[in-house]
Amino acid sequence: MADSASGATDKSVQVKLVLLGEAAVGKSSIVLRFVSNEFQANKEPTIGAAFLTQKCRLEDRVLRYEIWDTAGQERFHSLAPMYYRNAQAAVVVYDVTKAASLEKAKSWVKELQRQANPNIVIALAGNKVDLVQPSASTSGTTSSESEDEADDATATPEETAGGEQAESLRQVPRDEAEAYAKEAGLLFFETSAKTGEGIVEIFTEIAKKIPIEHILASTRGAGRPGAGGRPGAPDGGVTLDENAAKGKDACNC
Amino acid sequence: MASHYDVIVIGTGLTESITAAALSKAGFTVAHIDENLYYGGDEASLDLDDLDQWAKKRSAASDKPLSSPYLQAQAEKFVSISAVASPPPHSRQYSVSLLPSLIPSTGPFIASLIASGVSRYGGYKLLERVAIYHSAGLVKNVPGSKEDVFKSKDLSLVEKRRLMRFLLFAAGDFAGSKELQGHEDAPFIDFLRTTFSLSMDVATAITYALAFCSAASDPTLPALTRIHHYLRSSGRYGNSPFLVGHYGGAGEIVQGFCRVSAVVGGVCILARNILSIKQSPPPEGHPQPTYVVELEGFDEPLTSRLIISAPDYTPFLSNGTSQDNTHSSPPPFSSRRVARGVIVIDHPIYFPFLAPPSSDSDPIVGASVSTESMITPVDTAVLVFPPSFLPDGSSTTAAHAFITGAGSMSAPVGIVNISLPLDGAGSSPPDAKAILTPYVNATMALTKRPSSGDVVSDPIFTLFYIQNQLLPSNSENEVTPPLPDLETCFTTPPISPTLSECADSAAMNAEKLFWKAVNALKGHPTHTPGQGEEIPEGQDLVEIESFWPPLETIVDDEGDESW
Repeated sequence: MADSASGATDKSVQVKLVLLGEAAVGKSSIVLRFVSNEFQANKEPTIGAAFLTQKCRLEDRVLRYEIWDTAGQERFHSLAPMYYRNAQAAVVVYDVTKAASLEKAKSWVKELQRQANPNIVIALAGNKVDLVQPSASTSGTTSSESEDEADDATATPEETAGGEQAESLRQVPRDEAEAYAKEAGLLFFETSAKTGEGIVEIFTEIAKKIPIEHILASTRGAGRPGAGGRPGAPDGGVTLDENAAKGKDACNC
Repeated sequence: MASHYDVIVIGTGLTESITAAALSKAGFTVAHIDENLYYGGDEASLDLDDLDQWAKKRSAASDKPLSSPYLQAQAEKFVSISAVASPPPHSRQYSVSLLPSLIPSTGPFIASLIASGVSRYGGYKLLERVAIYHSAGLVKNVPGSKEDVFKSKDLSLVEKRRLMRFLLFAAGDFAGSKELQGHEDAPFIDFLRTTFSLSMDVATAITYALAFCSAASDPTLPALTRIHHYLRSSGRYGNSPFLVGHYGGAGEIVQGFCRVSAVVGGVCILARNILSIKQSPPPEGHPQPTYVVELEGFDEPLTSRLIISAPDYTPFLSNGTSQDNTHSSPPPFSSRRVARGVIVIDHPIYFPFLAPPSSDSDPIVGASVSTESMITPVDTAVLVFPPSFLPDGSSTTAAHAFITGAGSMSAPVGIVNISLPLDGAGSSPPDAKAILTPYVNATMALTKRPSSGDVVSDPIFTLFYIQNQLLPSNSENEVTPPLPDLETCFTTPPISPTLSECADSAAMNAEKLFWKAVNALKGHPTHTPGQGEEIPEGQDLVEIESFWPPLETIVDDEGDESW
């Protein structure tokens, strides 16, 4: 939280974005591609990251995404209200090679509509589209997202996908998912964290839809996007870490 | 999912959640379980629908012999529950804290918040005011700092000098001082009156509004220690020593600790009833037994080397172990009954202070009202009702009404949490609603703006109950009593019931539990923080040097390209 001022002087607007989706659909890989523009099959999981941040430029505005991963808490009904709290955007991810993951995505959309800020911008992302594109298959080795789940506990099982069978791997037709997204009022993308296809587009399209003026108005003076959920809330928030250095013998009582 | 863990933590209260986060960060595998649908246990923050459910489940559990041992324990702990009216709409806009807490700006809790990274997840604001109830529709200011004392117009010069002398004493190194000697256990309010010659008014304010004592009999040393701490806490974030957490405080912060645990691989499981907890004999080559926890809906049980459990889950332990543990001795803690009330308001509260008459030395006589303080409503404040201040109230204990308004994000307008410790331990549960109604009325009287046409408004939702609360032991050694014969099973000790102390005591409990767990898991008996002794070779864990490891820096794009 080095840069917590999102007031009038700073043009950048903090936007909390939450990821949802079944385990192993590639949530963390999408973030990694977006934040670091990388996809390394053997990269260490991003364990220990509270959340990732990434700027997104949009005309004269800079959005600063604060991206929250589920950390495996989507299992066992253990995602806390805090996770959805003040999220202005959500990316709900499914795997185009797993029909069940779209059903799960639909239930996450419902959960968002129940729990989250009513103005939340939701994008639906059908990931691992590289697996169903014969030409994109580089060596026919393994699935794209396997080793890159930030949350090791949800790491994707190995999954072999020869290029020649690619199209047959698809279990979710693009039309079907797109129709659902349209009906539910979601942005829709097919993506590949492996090749980068569609990734940046998710975040720029979300940025276009975010009511920036509204966020600016409601967070002015408050230190965090977490304080932005309720327009017109009085100021007076404090950021704890700022004074951490000068807090003396904080533990001696 | 792996089914064997180093530690299974049962219960997601403040202490358990801090402990789970610290153990996960230290590299242990942790499963964190709660039967409730929410995080936080007895420290949860709930929306109004969930609060309504919370109340219904606990009032009905005694009628249902089939409910889980946890729920039965809860039904014994929370009695005389009366929810009035069904929750208003937009239930999710409210976060009602089951255990309201003030966070001192320095101390173990805030240190853990920062060192764990949990402080990044939530928002905080300074406590705006502490005031003492004076009479219907009026409150008295509490001078909380030397600056306040200087500025105060309520106090005579002599009184100011005496108060300053006390504040300097309390802020200084009073241990072993001649003033304190022999008075450590004396009633604090008597100590203030005799040793510092303070008037009853000032001594009362210090006792209940600065030290947050609950009765005139509260002893001197703990009260003095609290004031010392708070005087030194103010100024870190502003002129109040206390912070208030957004969205219901502790219950929201708990979610942050649970997330920290999950981010480093901890497994969180909510809303599953525990069917049994058994101890199986030590596996070959292992000195310690294994615990086997069966969860509803899980085909495979979870197993662990260590269990840390909230007390309400321990019926499982004493009944379900494979060894002959028929003991059901109560934990070595005394308990106290606290009447608690939750009042949701849709009109803000004002603190019209008594204005001191210009030439009168007794402020009570000239009961005119100041003008500046009534214009803006209070957002976060504590209103103190010392014993006997309310005609129909308690004559022996003090009530504290903790007001959290829109700025604390806990409600569109406000929530008032009233707590009143009860004297004695009568056999039949007292009527929480009857006991607290005078305090509710006195608080609601402050929704009327003085010298305006407003009328006193009614709460839009109320909930009253009596909580049988365990009190922390004075003995340091009793902090984590393992059940007999279960050396690798710890129950979490009670946290302080004091509004300003509960968060810190949870963090201190958690740190002690953490080191106990580290020791037990290593089979290494005396590793204490700061000593840095050698860990025997061949252990599968790295050396653990601190409660919280150095914090990772947030992966940030500062200065990098942007899309």
